[in-house]
Amino acid sequence: MFEPDEELIGRVLRQLRRPVTVDASLDARVMEQVRRHPPRRAAGAAQAAWGWLTRPRTIRLSPLGALAIAAVFVAVVLGRPDRSSRSTAASGREFAFVVVAPRATTVSLVGDFNDWDAARTPMRRVRQDESVWAAVIPLTPGRYRYAFLVDGVRWLADPAAPAARDDEYGAPSSVVTVGGS
Amino acid sequence: MTLLVAATLVALQAPAQGLDPRLQRLDSISRPIVTALVDSARAVALPTEPLVQRALEGATKRATADRIVAAVRRLALDLSHARDALGPMTSPPELSAAAAALRAGAPPATLTELRRVRPESLTVPLAVLTDLVASGVPVDSAAGAVLALAARARDADLVEFRRAVERDIALGAPPASATAAAAAAAFAAATVQVNAGAKQQRPGRP
Repeated sequence: MFEPDEELIGRVLRQLRRPVTVDASLDARVMEQVRRHPPRRAAGAAQAAWGWLTRPRTIRLSPLGALAIAAVFVAVVLGRPDRSSRSTAASGREFAFVVVAPRATTVSLVGDFNDWDAARTPMRRVRQDESVWAAVIPLTPGRYRYAFLVDGVRWLADPAAPAARDDEYGAPSSVVTVGGS
Repeated sequence: MTLLVAATLVALQAPAQGLDPRLQRLDSISRPIVTALVDSARAVALPTEPLVQRALEGATKRATADRIVAAVRRLALDLSHARDALGPMTSPPELSAAAAALRAGAPPATLTELRRVRPESLTVPLAVLTDLVASGVPVDSAAGAVLALAARARDADLVEFRRAVERDIALGAPPASATAAAAAAAFAAATVQVNAGAKQQRPGRP
């Protein structure tokens, strides 16, 4: 155990209680040094921000809080529409679709590859004043249903392609299959 | 703490309420039912994109709500049966092609056998099988030919095989005979590793 030495403690106390003499010009000399360095406001703010951003911190989190954050993350990831099988047009092999439509004013290629949106893939006449219409689009491997929409009202299947067998909507569709090998 | 609990509840409900914006094109009757079908498919890890596309096809073709719902529901069922036949690791394109093959009348056992004999993707073999049946080839003949070719033939060879069958049928050959003749030619080509699609540089054709 520690035995207090009263004489030693007394000596330390006396030493600490001795008045300290400070040079009277000390304040003036310190302030003079401070004035020689002008303030750098902008750099100081940036430095402070950088320091705040890069300073390591310890984050304390309750188990419930961690669970909530994990749930939000899972919901964001799983809640997105599943487009894995049809994120087609970005890259893929080009396919040419051709149809003969005499007297047509407009022809659209519509199918699984463009969300069945008639405005997205308008077909073009191969030559002016001719009835052959064509469109070329990239397709990734998969099987796609499609049809041609003539003048916005009349559906045509592709006579050069297999017919879609399960046609529940009373308008013909065709299928195109894109292989990978 | 209250905020965290609320966030958790919202997050847990998010998948059920996450309406695909494309489904806004559906009418007010079919939209909630199709959304529920899509959510159910997602919950059991079935691909949802084919269901969305089938619903959009109906909307664009101005089908009634009843028809759209029936078509989506039937496709979801077909996708589930296709996965039963092909296994849980099957890709979405394969499942779509398999669903169409089952709908065309292919036996589930044929799909399972295809998975066993072909290590590559089954999308094209299944599509060729479906297309042959649609062309009038008896299911047994089509399944037998595709199974025989699937182990060695490349996708391009299988597509060329389908074209040959359709060409012969158009020229008047009985579908089963056309299938047998084209299968023999394709088998020989696959055996000597001739890739029917290798010469194709221009855009492909359906």
